[in-house]
Amino acid sequence: MSARRIVLTSGKGGVGKTTTTANLGAALAKRGKRVVLVDADIGLRNLDLVLGLEKRIVFDLVEVVEGRCQLRQALIKDKRFQALSILPAAQTRDKTAVSETQFAAVVDGLEGFADYILIDCPAGIEHGFRNAVAGASEAIVVTTPEVSAIRDADRVIGKLNERSLPIRLIVNRIRPEMVRSGDMMSVDDVVDILGVKLLGMIPDDEEVIDTTNRGEPIVLTPDSRLGEIYEKIARRLDGEHVPFTALTAPGLFGRLFGARKAG
Amino acid sequence: MHELQSEPAPDASSQPRKRGRAIVVTSGKGGVGKTTTTANLGTALALGGATVALVDADVGLRNLDIVLGLEARVRNHVLDVLEGRVTLDDALINDKRVPTLRLLAAAQTREKDDVDTPAMQALIDSLRDRFDYVLIDCPAGIEKGFTNAIVGADEAIIVCTPEVAAVRDADRVVGLLGNRASIKLIVNRLRPELVRRGKMLSVEDVNAILRLPLLGVIADEPGVIIATNKGEPLVLDESSSAGAAYRAIAGRIAGTDTSAPEIPLPPTLLQKLGSFFGGRR
Repeated sequence: MSARRIVLTSGKGGVGKTTTTANLGAALAKRGKRVVLVDADIGLRNLDLVLGLEKRIVFDLVEVVEGRCQLRQALIKDKRFQALSILPAAQTRDKTAVSETQFAAVVDGLEGFADYILIDCPAGIEHGFRNAVAGASEAIVVTTPEVSAIRDADRVIGKLNERSLPIRLIVNRIRPEMVRSGDMMSVDDVVDILGVKLLGMIPDDEEVIDTTNRGEPIVLTPDSRLGEIYEKIARRLDGEHVPFTALTAPGLFGRLFGARKAG
Repeated sequence: MHELQSEPAPDASSQPRKRGRAIVVTSGKGGVGKTTTTANLGTALALGGATVALVDADVGLRNLDIVLGLEARVRNHVLDVLEGRVTLDDALINDKRVPTLRLLAAAQTREKDDVDTPAMQALIDSLRDRFDYVLIDCPAGIEKGFTNAIVGADEAIIVCTPEVAAVRDADRVVGLLGNRASIKLIVNRLRPELVRRGKMLSVEDVNAILRLPLLGVIADEPGVIIATNKGEPLVLDESSSAGAAYRAIAGRIAGTDTSAPEIPLPPTLLQKLGSFFGGRR
């Protein structure tokens, strides 16, 4: 069976593409899938940091393209999971160092290594975006419930439609309390505006900041609310029917004392 | 070479040319608050009496118009000016609230590669002849859009959040900015409570890597999201602490505020209780 090649994109930066790529990849690997994560953000790579693998980079994507190493040599295996590896981006090069055709060829080369190839797209819709999309046959659009993020997502969805890629949506960083008080758009609003199928909704949770800084996927934290959510999204992506559960705001106790264990 | 119409502003026809300051607001990483910062600093500087032009350099993914609540007024954009279809005056949009503030919007349906870099530099130059401040909102990344945004600026403000990824990207951008006259730092979206618990980098941690003069620190507050959705910069809200921090930063930029930046502290239990019971609607 051929690998599924999925680009995670958003238009706007800072909405959680890299965090989602890392955690969704880890969740799929935890389910026993072979997963390769590709960092397409040449010059501003971060996927390695989010997974705590930055010290293990020897070769990168640009060196693969330029024939200075084998694809296999550039893949970094995540020791915490059986079957998760990343292909890091070059940090000191430009996005124009790789063409769309070359990027797609690298992803072709990963076929034998993976059930899932997740491509972490850079912000924007320039060359780096075109490369990331050239390697994909499906797309996950990540957005937050903010007017500016949704406008950018809408623009990106238009570009993905031009290439006839199937699109699913993850709404990230939802603050249920603000939705309830009318200060934030609901997931339904976002889905209505963008008109794409929902894959997952993720609450805003400070747990992300800490685990990202420590380079640890959330799915490894026992009893993590977010970890559970990523695992559900992974199952949905994998074709299972997993009903959506409403996100709840933390109660009085949580608000006053910062307890993070929510239902 | 593109010749820009350097028609004087209606109220400035008899005045000598200004040499305003061109400041690019940049970060590398997206979503750290560049656009919010540009809108708030521009509004605050204009409230202080300066003439200010805000330039959205994010061609294809513009958002500065939304944050300022001016999206319905955009008729012409940067590329219309650069390609000679309209004059600069036709493209500058008056702010709703502050009379000395103007916005030059980005094109939404064009690409960053459509912008000619020398022409962009000429455009910023001609804005500097007419405004005290030209603030340029840079797109995320370090591609063509970045090159176009920084070309006309001789000063830069780096916006960074206390996260390793943002710090790494900011560090890369500082390297690319080269010998600008001034590169200063704003640390955005700090959560003092998380810093206290050791779950977030502190301002000192961030600046141990970047080593830039600190212009100010903005604490994370949900008000920013609400203000963005409403299109009302927080500096107009007297009760917002982020608004106050932006006003202080504007004062430091203008040289009217010589105080050292304040680093927000975690709220006391009493403050938390107060905001909980007082903050309900």
